[in-house]
Amino acid sequence: MHEMSIVEALMEQITKMAQEQNWEAVTRVRLKVGAMRQIVPDILVFCFNVASKGTIMEGAILEMEEVPLRVKCEGCGHIWNDKEFLGLCPECGSIDVNVLGGMELELTNLEVEVKHAKAREH
Amino acid sequence: MPKLVNIKKSVMAADEEHASFIRNIMREKGILMINMIGSPGSGKTTVLEKLLPALDLRCAVIEGDVATSKDAERIAATGTPVVQINTQGGCHLEAHLVRKALQDIPIDDIDVLFVENVGNLVCPAEFDLGESFKMAISSVPEGDDKPLKYPSLFHKARAVLLTKVDLLPFIKFDKSTFWNDVKKLNPKASRFELAALEDKGVDELVNSIKDWLNEVRGN
Repeated sequence: MHEMSIVEALMEQITKMAQEQNWEAVTRVRLKVGAMRQIVPDILVFCFNVASKGTIMEGAILEMEEVPLRVKCEGCGHIWNDKEFLGLCPECGSIDVNVLGGMELELTNLEVEVKHAKAREH
Repeated sequence: MPKLVNIKKSVMAADEEHASFIRNIMREKGILMINMIGSPGSGKTTVLEKLLPALDLRCAVIEGDVATSKDAERIAATGTPVVQINTQGGCHLEAHLVRKALQDIPIDDIDVLFVENVGNLVCPAEFDLGESFKMAISSVPEGDDKPLKYPSLFHKARAVLLTKVDLLPFIKFDKSTFWNDVKKLNPKASRFELAALEDKGVDELVNSIKDWLNEVRGN
């Protein structure tokens, strides 16, 4: 259950930015989550909802975009997406394969309410 | 109107900085740092108890457990400097905890630092501690299907230890299934078989640790 640690790190990062940039509330949080990160989306959302109570992130919607596992065969050059890492090239059967993507855990963007929003609008 | 703010930064950025700090120290001091990951009861501490007296190198150990200092006491009995981290419920070690523990490790006087992670095959694999590499420890009684069921760890580990092989005659465990799956996930991993209580396989591991130390020191 490492989801709570991830939520804590995420909230710490957002809280710091909110103080620096004068945000009143965070309404949406978008993450990119690699298929190889062993993260259960429902648990991450549950942890976020519990931990964000009473903070500027309370009620924010946590959205996750799953990044598929992307694998390249060094034998024949074939590149493919996969649900799980099986270590075998489906084309030539080589085990000399490398993971290109699917390890991401990125805070992509946020939707925020800025304090004194009116003064900042065009 | 909500404002969209682009970030594009790792969620774990703060802890990754701690991991980089640790990795730099290890490089600077020429220390081999091994992050040992395996289930509770897989034999991580027993392997260390056999390994530490057999290694004619200066070693230290960081022990990660949810509670108690039982493992640290076992390591201390070998005469090796040890620091216990209690995660108070946390299922894995994180770099900031290790960085704090390093303050009590004689880093100017050691060659090898073993970090025994909290017993768990899932979460510890996801957190970089700044180690030279991860070592996966899996025991015969756990079954031969563990590599495929926990691919992340076996994919990342530089070395895989199969422990308690003296129990093979008593347990349904197909060794070729286990090792073939490890090879599929990670063809480059070094593979070891141990029956530590019978001192089997310890010498091979000792020799590899010396090779790995030379490697991190660029010899």
